[in-house]
Amino acid sequence: MAEKEIFNGEAVMSFENEHDRRNFLKWAGIVGVGSSLAVAGFSRGSVSAQAEDSDLEILNYALTLEYLEADFYNRGVDGGVVSGRELALVTPIRDHEDAHVAALTSTINDLGGTPVKSPKFKYPEGTFTEKATFLETASVFEELGVTAYHGQVTLIKNVDILAAAAAIAGVESRHAAILADLTGGNPFPAPVEDTATMKQVLKAAKPFIKS
Amino acid sequence: MDRRFFLKGSAAVIPASVGLQMLSTRWAFAQSADFGSDVDVLNYALTLEFLESEFYRQGNDAGLLSGKEAKYTQTIGADEDAHVAAITETIMKIGGTPVEAPAVDFGEAFKSRDSFLETAHVFENLGVGAYLGAAGFIKNKDILQAAAGIFGVEARHAAVIGNMLRLEPEGGVYMGSTETPQDKAAVLKAAAPFLAGAGAMTGGAAATL
Repeated sequence: MAEKEIFNGEAVMSFENEHDRRNFLKWAGIVGVGSSLAVAGFSRGSVSAQAEDSDLEILNYALTLEYLEADFYNRGVDGGVVSGRELALVTPIRDHEDAHVAALTSTINDLGGTPVKSPKFKYPEGTFTEKATFLETASVFEELGVTAYHGQVTLIKNVDILAAAAAIAGVESRHAAILADLTGGNPFPAPVEDTATMKQVLKAAKPFIKS
Repeated sequence: MDRRFFLKGSAAVIPASVGLQMLSTRWAFAQSADFGSDVDVLNYALTLEFLESEFYRQGNDAGLLSGKEAKYTQTIGADEDAHVAAITETIMKIGGTPVEAPAVDFGEAFKSRDSFLETAHVFENLGVGAYLGAAGFIKNKDILQAAAGIFGVEARHAAVIGNMLRLEPEGGVYMGSTETPQDKAAVLKAAAPFLAGAGAMTGGAAATL
C-alpha cells in the first residue's frame, strides 16, 4: 500500500474566529514555522489551508493506526486469549483504542476533513490463540504507536490538535510499558521516547493491512 | 473545479470553534503569565525532575524492593537523573541559568515498599500532568520534542508503578483514554509538601515553580 492511499480525506479548514487564529499564531511560534508563513496566515488564504491540510493528514494517519490497534484488541479480548490480571490490564487498552478512534473521527469531521475508512486487517496465525504471540504483537503495536505520535510532535501545526495528540500519546506510552512488563521486555527502553517517521511506521504496519 | 477548491470557498459554514471544542477542553492552559520563556518552562521541569531524582535515590538506597521491582525503580531513577542532566544542559545551551536542586523532605515515604511506591505513583502522575500542561508554552521545537519524549517516559513510569501496586487498571495503572494536563498552580500545590521548609517556597529553586 502506498503511503498516500490511505489518506483520502479532503482537508479544509480556515480560521473562523480569533480564538483559532491566536492558537495558530501561538503554535506557529512553538514549532518554528517560518515567519513568512505566520505572516501570510493572516490573509486566511491558501497558506493557512495548506497548513491545516497537513494536520488533517496527520490525524488520519493516527486514525489508521488506532483502527489497527482497536481491531487487534477487540479480537483479542473477544477471543479470550488472555485471562486474569492480564485480561484486566488489556481490556481498558481496548477501550482506550476504541475511544481514540471515536475521538479522532469526530475531530476530523469537526475540522471539516474526511476521516479515512478503516482498512481490513490480517494477522499471523496464532495471534489470537497463543497468549505469548498476542501480547508480543500488542507490545510491538504499542511501541510503534508511541514512536508514531512522537514523530509528529514538531509537525502538527494546530496547538489544540497537538495537545490532543500528546494526551493520547501518553496513554500509548502507558500501554507500551505494561505490555513490555507482561512480556518480560523492558518497560523503560530509554529516558526519552523515540520517534519514527510516517514512512517508517506505515512500512511496519503494512504486513497487517489486508486491503 | 476540484473538490478541495470548492470546499475551501464554503469553509465559512464550518464552525471550527465547535470542532476544536473537544480538543480545547483537554488543554489546560496555565495562565499565560506562568511561563515567560522556554527557560522558565525548563526550570519548572528541572525542579520536578530534581524532586523525582532525589526521591528515587533515597528510595532505592532504602533497600525496600528486590528482584524485578528493584530493577525497575533503579531504571526509573536513572531516567530521572538523565532528565535532570538533559534539562540542565539544555537550559545552559540556550543561555539560561538552571535552578539549583530544592531541599526536599519525603517524610515517611521510605517506611515500606508500599509507601515508597505509592509516593512514586503520585510523583509520576504529577510529572505527566505537569509536562502536558506546560507543553503549550514551549516555543522551540527541539525542546518541545524533548519535553514530549520525557512526558511519555513519565507515563511509562506511572503505569508500571501502578501495576506494581496492583492498583485497578483503569484509574490506577491507566488514567483514562487521554492524559490530563495540570496547570502550574495545581502542580505546585501537590509538590509543596515535599519541598523542605517554608523558605523553600519563597526562595531558591522552588520559587520558580
